[in-house]
Amino acid sequence: MISLLLSFAFALVVTFGFCILFHVPKRHIPAACFIGASGWMCFEFCGLNGYDQVASCFMAACLVAFLSDICSRIFKEAITIFVIPGILPLVPGARAYHTMTAFIANDFDKTLTFGTETVFMACSIALALMAVASTMKVIVFISRRLTQL
Amino acid sequence: MINQVQKKVLLLALKAGKLMMKSGAEIYRVEDTITRICKACDIPYVDVFAIPTGIFVSLDAGDADSNVYTYVKRIKGSKIDLGKISKINQFAREFTTTDLSIDAGMEIIDNIAKQPLYPLVLRLLGASCVTSFFSMLFGGDMIDFCIAFVLGSGVYAISSLLDKVDTNFFIRCFCCCAVAAFFAKLAWFLLPTVNADAIIIGCLMLFVPGVAITNAIRDFLTGDMLSGLARLCEAVMIALALATGAGVALSLWGLIGGSI
Repeated sequence: MISLLLSFAFALVVTFGFCILFHVPKRHIPAACFIGASGWMCFEFCGLNGYDQVASCFMAACLVAFLSDICSRIFKEAITIFVIPGILPLVPGARAYHTMTAFIANDFDKTLTFGTETVFMACSIALALMAVASTMKVIVFISRRLTQL
Repeated sequence: MINQVQKKVLLLALKAGKLMMKSGAEIYRVEDTITRICKACDIPYVDVFAIPTGIFVSLDAGDADSNVYTYVKRIKGSKIDLGKISKINQFAREFTTTDLSIDAGMEIIDNIAKQPLYPLVLRLLGASCVTSFFSMLFGGDMIDFCIAFVLGSGVYAISSLLDKVDTNFFIRCFCCCAVAAFFAKLAWFLLPTVNADAIIIGCLMLFVPGVAITNAIRDFLTGDMLSGLARLCEAVMIALALATGAGVALSLWGLIGGSI
């Protein structure tokens, strides 16, 4: 539990750094940081509960996309402002690095394993973004229709 | 015949679109902004086609004997700036709902274009935050934290320096990662308890193509396949640059006698 909270705090600072680098407007930095940190905590939490990296990445990206969608509707802002800093910690940079080191060490079995995992993690992020964006569109469409009735 | 006012509107819309595209907005947002600004000024026929490297706009006054006007805007280079996207988004909403004059609108856009990023010192600190806390998340300890903190701002400084002298993104990512990997290994050589992998991963995360991936997916979703593919290619290229950069540095390290 403590390690989860600690990683939440670390991810908060990490996302804050990304917010600074990409010039997120000051008033949206807290929300963006929170989204990024909860995404990372979801990733760690799923990992601790026995899910593999790809599945945890998918769930975390879903959470980030969902929270960002809500924030963009609340603040009436472009969703990119919340999604980009939130997604960045989940991008499989570590896996890509391990792929590369395995490749240098001529360990092609590991290269293939890590490489596939890297590609699948990137794909799972993409899939999560797509799934949440499409679902939110349908939900908003239906709720608008319902309020018109 | 298109009149002077409409031409001004076209220039205003194009400027807004160009700024958005350069700052890393999705295609549909750019097209939507341009269309809405033009429609707000009563131009009956507007059509926009945007890709990451250019915007094409056609407009027509709608008379039987009027000519169609087409404007092609080439977009070179990009710099992610979410603040500008947010500002222009607000501006477009304001421009279409209130009766802001075109000249005033132009002034606002110019002001937004001039707006700088956060000051360099703050950005260096941000880069340090990213690298150092990432190295902690990937299993580093206090010493790794300090090394990654220094290395992060150093690498980011190199990146912005290379950006100033107009190198392309491939060389930039390559050099930064090579430097990061080399110095992490050097630190490990001097202090064997250092976790070099954690430091290198922390520095890699600074340049990871998260923006390109996110935008590619959002472009695919709205049906802009061409732009989606272009951005996906960009993401793959960046990832390759990062991997080769770190890889070359590590191999060189192996060549001069250090173990990997």
